[in-house]
This record gives sequence, C-alpha cells and structure tokens, in this order.
Amino acid sequence: MVDHSPLWLRLVTACLTSTIVIFLIAPLLIVVGVSFTAGDYIAFPPQGLSLRWYAKILSEQVYTSSFAMSLWVACLVTVSATAIGTAAAIALHREVLPGSRAISGFFFAPIILPSIILGLGLLIVWSRVIGATSVLTVFVGHFVLALPYVIRTTLAVLTTSDPFLEEAARTMGAGPWQSLWRVTVPQCAPGIAAGAFFAFNISFDEAVVSLFLRSPDIMTLPIQIYTQLEFSPDPSIAAVSSLMIGLTIVLIVLIERVVGLQKITE
Amino acid sequence: MDRYPQSVALIAPGVAIMIAAFAVPVAMMLSMGIHGDQGFTFEYILAFVTDPFYLGIGWRTVKLALIISVVCVLVGVPLAYVMARGSRRLRTFLLICVTLPLMTSVVVRTFGWMVILGRNGLIADMLFDLGLVRRNFSLMQTETAIVIGMVQVVLPFMVLTVLGVMQRLDPRLEEAARVMGCTFVGSLRRVVLPGAMPGIVSGFLLVFSLSASYFVTPMLLGGARLPTVAASIYEAATKTLEWNFAAAQSLILLCGLLLLLFTYSLAARKANG
Repeated sequence: MVDHSPLWLRLVTACLTSTIVIFLIAPLLIVVGVSFTAGDYIAFPPQGLSLRWYAKILSEQVYTSSFAMSLWVACLVTVSATAIGTAAAIALHREVLPGSRAISGFFFAPIILPSIILGLGLLIVWSRVIGATSVLTVFVGHFVLALPYVIRTTLAVLTTSDPFLEEAARTMGAGPWQSLWRVTVPQCAPGIAAGAFFAFNISFDEAVVSLFLRSPDIMTLPIQIYTQLEFSPDPSIAAVSSLMIGLTIVLIVLIERVVGLQKITE
Repeated sequence: MDRYPQSVALIAPGVAIMIAAFAVPVAMMLSMGIHGDQGFTFEYILAFVTDPFYLGIGWRTVKLALIISVVCVLVGVPLAYVMARGSRRLRTFLLICVTLPLMTSVVVRTFGWMVILGRNGLIADMLFDLGLVRRNFSLMQTETAIVIGMVQVVLPFMVLTVLGVMQRLDPRLEEAARVMGCTFVGSLRRVVLPGAMPGIVSGFLLVFSLSASYFVTPMLLGGARLPTVAASIYEAATKTLEWNFAAAQSLILLCGLLLLLFTYSLAARKANG
C-alpha cells in the first residue's frame, strides 16, 4: 500500500471541505439564528434571545392557514403519488411491456425539464380549458414533480429484491394480485416509504410551480414566505422557515433510517 | 403469462395522469409560442430575438449560468472525491450536509442569503470592519449575489451526480497508478478525472440547465433590475399576462438547453468512436 497523500494536501482538503460545508449550511443556520431574536428587525447575530416570533406565527392566521394548505396538499400528493408511482415502478421493473424504456424516460422527464415550463404550461392550459387555477392545480403540479422520485426509490429497492419470490408465490397457487400484494409490495416497502417522504418534502417545499399558479386563494407556506420576502420581511419569516427546516431534518432522518441516504444516491 | 395484463393495469394510471397533467399542458403551452390568434406566427419569437433589451436578458442568463456551473464543477468535484474516498462516517456526515440544503425549500435558503448578503448583513459588516467598504454597503441586487445564492442552490445536484460516478470507480486503479510511481496529484489527473468525466459533464449540464431556468433566487437576490430569462417568463406570465410571449420565451429557453444536450451527445458519440 502506498502512502495516501502528502500532509499539505490533506490540510488543504480539510480546509476546502469545511469551507464548502459551511457555505452549504450557513443560510440555514442564519435563518434559525434570526428566528430566536428578541428584536423587531431581521438581524444576525440576533439581538437577545426570545421565542416571541414563534408565538407570533402560531397566533397569526396567515401562517396557520397557509401551513394547513401546504400540509393538506402535501398529504394528498404523498398518498396519490406513492400509490400510483409504486404501481408504475413495479410494472417498469418487470420489463414485460413494450417500450418500457420510453415510458420510464417519460416518467423521469419532469426531473430534467425545468419546472418553470411545467408551471407555465399548467397555468395557461388550466386557465384556458378548465378555468381559474385552484389548489387542485397546485396538487396536480406537485404530483407530477413528486412521481418520478417515488418511482426512482421504489425501483432502487426492487433491483436488489429476489425476483423468484413472486414466482414461488405463483407456483404455490397465489393469484397475480395476491402475489403482488403479499410478496412484491412488502419487498419494496422501504423504497415506497422513502418515496413517500420525498413526495411529501417536494410538495411541502415547492415554490416554482405554485408561484405561477399564485392567487389569493392559493397560499402555500413557501408562497407566503416568498410574498413576505418581496415586501416586508420581519423575523416571523425566520421562525416559519426554521420550522420548515426542522421538518426537513425529520424527513431526512426518516429516509436515512428506512433505506439509507447512501442507497438513494447510488 | 398473466403478468402482462397486470403490468398494463399497474402502469396505466401513471401514464394517463402524466399525459394529461404534464405532456399535454407543456406541449400546448410551447405551441402557443408560435401560434397567435391568426394561426402560425414567428411574431413572439422575433419580439424576443430582435429586441436588444431581451437579448441582454438572454446574454445575462447564459453568462450567469455558465459562471455558476463552472464554480459548481470547481467546488463540487473535489467534495465528491472526498466523499467517495473518505471513511463511511465522513461520507454520511457530508451526505447530510449536502442533502439538508437540497431538501430545504428554495425560498428558505434564499431568505438566508438575503440576511447574509443584505445591508448590515454578515458580509457587509465583515467588509466594513476590515475597512474595505463604506457603511450601508450591500451585495444585494448584484450579479455576484445571484451567483453566490445559486451556487448554493444547485451545488448539491453537482456533488450527487459526480459522487454517483466516482463511487463506481475502482479505487485500486488509483493504487495501481501510485505503485507505478505516479504522484498523488498525477493519479488524480490521469485516473480519477478521466474516470469521473462523464459524471462531471452530466453534472455540469444539469446545473447549467437548472441555473438558466431558475427565477426564485435570481429575482429575490438580483431584484427587478437584473432580470434573467426565467424571471422575464414569470413577469410575462403573471404580471403583464402576455401568455404567447411567455410561451415563446420558454420555447427559446428549452430549445437552447436541448441544443446544448444535443451538441454534448454528438461530441460524446464522436469521442467514443
């Protein structure tokens, strides 16, 4: 075994890596710091410590109602995208359908296509064909964005599963739907769960498509934050943002526990 | 075999919704860029490409996306290498540091940058204390602010794309190069970089297309005086309600990005013989 690398290079690497990590995390830490300020203005470092801005957002209807809307949309997206995405992933994994590759390319297109194009398309076509955009439009947009992530995580687990278990179930007399429900679905459960967490995260945090559909009736939490940032931000925005960061951390921990982040990135 | 009808039943709902909610709206919207009330027209496209104001917006978009992508390569590739070759614990730690911002809403992250870069923000205070700038200095409403904010927004995509490729590189190749007398830097240059090149290039393309089409961060950090194409699309779609013009600009943006991908795949095919 050769000596790894010279000392100076290790030092440079350590410095570089910590700088990048600080750069990536700093905006989040600053936001959390600002949220605990006792002062009236957004300032870092915070002027004194207090929870007054958290108390404020919990008692203000603009925040509680937009939180409720985001939660409602995200839950709907999670349930529907997980169910439909899992089914699609199982079918894609079998590779029995003609054009499987083309279909999976189609499913993954929203990841590659700029979401501004989806947002504009939904806004124009919905307004022309159906009428005023509503929460339903936001749900549809978030669904399209979340679906590929559910399919991807489920496929990632399916590729490591045992293909013969399903066959065994069939040989033992289980019907096609019975073996699907009793054997295949439990096998990819971790992938399904991770996909559900991603779907929730994508919908809850999504701002681009929602901004295109923005109207007084459509005020999800990210849109509420954006609107405040355009006009008069005060530390209550930091408190809302910190709660959103907290929720993201919970979701990451859940994904790490269920499948492991490593697996998702491979 | 009855797996076939079952597979059709499993995939049908997803395909149906994706056609109705994705393919049809996007296609209809894009076609509006070359269709007016009197049928086919290049009017909206020409309105963009003949107006120096919009050409300036286009140039700014390309320039910023290019700077952001190059910075992401310079910063992201070394980080991905450290992650791929570091210990398991270091990798998990760094992976969390990359995924946490990635999964945090873009409005929240941009807000953080507004606090850091704004008047009386951390950067301004630090530069003032060093005596480098006057009081009330602010980086907000500058292209520098857009680049800083956007690099943080898209860097995780770069790192994860490159990491995916680097983890598949056999570390023994590097060892072999070292045993044969190659220096550490030499092994990076001759073994790691060529091996990771496909990942670096696809990461670059991904980050470029993301930065060219983002508007939340550029609009909040750059302000109305520094519009990009995406911000101009958003203006036309929601403020001035010129939908055909918004569609035409989307068409131009998309064609530009597709042209880039096409050139790359041609070049890749040529390079592979």
